[in-house]
Amino acid sequence: MRDMMGIIMADNKDLRLNELTDFRSVQALPFGGRYRLIDFILSNMVNSGMVNVGIATNINYSSLMDHVGSGAPWDLNRKIYGLFMLPPHVRGIGGNVSQDSIDQLYGVLTFLRRSRQEYVLLASGRTICNMTFDEALEKHIENDADITVIYHDKKEKDEQLSHGNVYEIDENGKVTGIEVQPRYPKTTLEGMGMFIIGRLKLIELIEDAYSRGSHDFVRDILISAVQNLKVSGYEYKGFVGIIDSVASYYENNMKLLEKEVRDEIFGAENRIYTKVKDQVPTQYKESSSVSDSLIADGCVIEGKVENSIIFRGVYIAKGATVKNCIVMQNTVIEEDCEIENIIIDKECTLRESKRLIGQPNYPVILPKRTLL
Amino acid sequence: MKSPECLAMILAGGQGSRLGALTKTVAKPAVPFGGKYRIIDFTLSNCIHSGIYTVGVLTQYQPLELNTYIGSGHPWDLNRNSGGVYVLPPYQSAEKGEWYKGTANAIYQNIEFVDKFNPKYVVILSGDHIYKMDYSKMIKFHKQKNADATIAVIEVPWEEASRFGIMTANEDGKIVEFAEKPAQPKSNLASMGVYVFTWEVLKKYLQNDEKNPESSNDFGKNIIPTMLEKGENMCAYAFEGYWKDVGTVQSLWEANMDILAQPPAFELNDNNWKIYSRNPVKPPHFVAGGAVIKNSCVTEGCSVYGTVNHSILFEGVTVEEGAVIEDSIIFPGTTVKKGATIKKTVVGEEAIIGEGAVIGDENTQSPQYESKYCTGGISLIGGGIEIPAGEKIGINSMVTADNGKEEN
Repeated sequence: MRDMMGIIMADNKDLRLNELTDFRSVQALPFGGRYRLIDFILSNMVNSGMVNVGIATNINYSSLMDHVGSGAPWDLNRKIYGLFMLPPHVRGIGGNVSQDSIDQLYGVLTFLRRSRQEYVLLASGRTICNMTFDEALEKHIENDADITVIYHDKKEKDEQLSHGNVYEIDENGKVTGIEVQPRYPKTTLEGMGMFIIGRLKLIELIEDAYSRGSHDFVRDILISAVQNLKVSGYEYKGFVGIIDSVASYYENNMKLLEKEVRDEIFGAENRIYTKVKDQVPTQYKESSSVSDSLIADGCVIEGKVENSIIFRGVYIAKGATVKNCIVMQNTVIEEDCEIENIIIDKECTLRESKRLIGQPNYPVILPKRTLL
Repeated sequence: MKSPECLAMILAGGQGSRLGALTKTVAKPAVPFGGKYRIIDFTLSNCIHSGIYTVGVLTQYQPLELNTYIGSGHPWDLNRNSGGVYVLPPYQSAEKGEWYKGTANAIYQNIEFVDKFNPKYVVILSGDHIYKMDYSKMIKFHKQKNADATIAVIEVPWEEASRFGIMTANEDGKIVEFAEKPAQPKSNLASMGVYVFTWEVLKKYLQNDEKNPESSNDFGKNIIPTMLEKGENMCAYAFEGYWKDVGTVQSLWEANMDILAQPPAFELNDNNWKIYSRNPVKPPHFVAGGAVIKNSCVTEGCSVYGTVNHSILFEGVTVEEGAVIEDSIIFPGTTVKKGATIKKTVVGEEAIIGEGAVIGDENTQSPQYESKYCTGGISLIGGGIEIPAGEKIGINSMVTADNGKEEN
C-alpha cells in the first residue's frame, strides 16, 4: 500500500450543514464525542499503510489545520513523505479562491508530480467508516481500470433527495452511469466519495479539465470518463455514514449508540486516531444519571443525560436534563436546563433553567459560542 | 549546543515490592494511577511544566513496559532535538558492568551522561510519587540560597514522621540535622525525595561515596548525611500541596480515592497543570440504559451497563449488567461479568471477574489469599487473573497466578 498516496479534498462551507460549517471546513466538523470527520479517512489511509497524504484545502481551514497539525496522531509527522497541507490555487492576480474542485486539484499538481506512488486515493473526507483500501486497490489493478469508484449499497432508496453520487454498475463491476444528486435515484448504490486513480492519469485528467475551463471533478471528469475511460466500481460492505446534511450528521452520530456500529468503527484492530487533548477522566457526581450515551473525557456530570453524545470537557449541572442531544466540546449547561433534540456546537453556555426542545427529525443547532 | 541550566534524573528502577501483584511484571513507576495515568506521568509532567527539557529515567527492575511507555517521550513533549527524555538502564563498560546498587550509585554510573549536557544543576526525582510541583521555583530558591543541595520537604503528621527521612532546619531554612526514619522525630518535615544539587558538588560526593565499600550508595542513607557532616550549604524547601508516596496497596488505593473526594484532595482537573500520559486511542465511553454511575471517574473505551459507585475505571473496562463496583479501582481492559460484585479492591489489567463473583466480601474467609501486602480491608486481584463465576473472595486478599505455589 506504500504504492498509493492519498488526497483529501477539504470542503468549505456546506449549506446543508447550516451553521455547523460557518467557521470550519466540513472535514473539521466534530463527530462522535472526540473526533472530527477527517479522522476517519486519515486513519483509514494510515491503517492501509499509506505514508503520503495531502489535504487540499479551500477557505476557512484554520480549525482543520489546527486539528491535524504535523500529523503526529496518525504517525504522519515523517521525514519521508508524511502529511501535506495544500492551500488552494488562485487563478490570475488578486483573484478569489474558487469553489471549484478542479481548481482545488490544480493546486495539488505539484504535490502529485513530486510524489512517486503509482496510485492515488482521492477522498472527500466526509465518510464515517473503518476500512482499509488494500482490496479496492487490488481490484483496481485486476480490472485494469482507469478510475475505481468506491461505493456502498444503501439497500433502500432515499425518500429524500440524495446529496451524493448514485452509480449504475453492470454485472462485471463496470460503472455505466452516474447521477449527481438525483431527485429520483435509479439505484441504491451510493458513492463514498473515494476514487482510486493512477497518479499520472490523474495529473493528465486535471490538466486537461483545467485547460478546458472545467469546474467539477465529478461532473466534468468522472461523468465523461464513464464514456471514454474504464471506470470500475468497488463495493464496500461495512458500516458507512456519509455526512452531507444536518439530518445525516445527527443520525450518524446517534448510530454510534448502537453496539454493533460502535464495535465496528472503534472496536476493530485498526483504530481511529484523533488529536489528543490530555483531558482528565470524566467525573460523575452523586446526582448524576446517565443512560444510552457516549461520553468523552474531561466532562463533569451532575445532571441527567439520556441518548446523547457528549464531547470532551462538557459540564452538565445538577438538575439539568439533556436528551437526544449532541453536545460539543467545552459547553456548559447550567442548573435545571432542559434540552432535547439539539445540536450544541463548541463552547456554548446555557444559563440556568433554559428550556430548548427541537423536533426529533429536525434537530436545532446552537451555533458555536452561543450564550443563552 | 547550549547547555541546559538544569537536568532531571528520575529514579525509576525500584521494584516497589509492597505493591504485591501490581509490580510483578512492571516497575512501580509504570503502575496505573488515577484513571488514565501511570505513576511516572506526574513526575514527567512536572518536569515539562517546570521547563526542564532534559530528563534521564533510570530503569532497572522490569523495565520493558516502562521503556515502551516512555518511548520517544512525545506524550510529554519530551521528543526534542535539544534535550529530551533518555531511558538509562545499567550498562556494561570496558572495565566492569554492574546493576545499580543504590540510588546514588545509579546517578554515579551516569555521570558521563550528565556531563555530556553539562548542566549547572541536577534535580533528582523519584518516579513513584503523586504530586504537582513546580521545580523551577525550587531551583530559584536553591540559587537564592546559594545552596549546594536543596531538599524539598513537606509537613507530615507527627505520628507518621518516623516513616520518613526527617529534616530539622533552622529559621533560614538551612538544614541542621537529618535522620532517616527516626524513632523519636525532632521535626515533622519529611523529605519528599526531591533534590536539587549543584552538579559539580554532587559529582564529587558521588565519586567519593563510590570509593567507600561500606556505603550502601543511597542518597538518604549516605550522600545527604555525608554532605551535612562536611558542612555543605544544604537547605530545606518547603512544599505545600498534595504529595503522596504510593508505595503500598493501601496508599495507592487511598491516593486514588483522594481524587474522588468532594472537593478532591488531589485535583487532576487542572488546565494549568495538565498531567500528560500516553493515549490509548479509544472512543468515548458508553453508558447503557440501566447503568448507575456515581462519585466516580470513567475514561475512554469503557462500557458500563452495571453500577459503579465511588470507583475509578481505567480505559477499556467493561462492567456488565447487574455488576456492582464500589470503592474500587479497575485497571485497563478488565471485564466485570454480569452480577459480579467488587468492593474495596484494586483489580489489575486485563482481568476477568466471572459472573456473580464477589470480591472483597466481608462475610467470606479466604485464608489462601491472605497477604501481607493487603491491609486496611483492601483486596488486590493481579493482572490477567480470571476469577471463576460465583467465586467469593474475602477482604485483605491478594489473588495472583502464584497463589498456592509460593509464599506471597
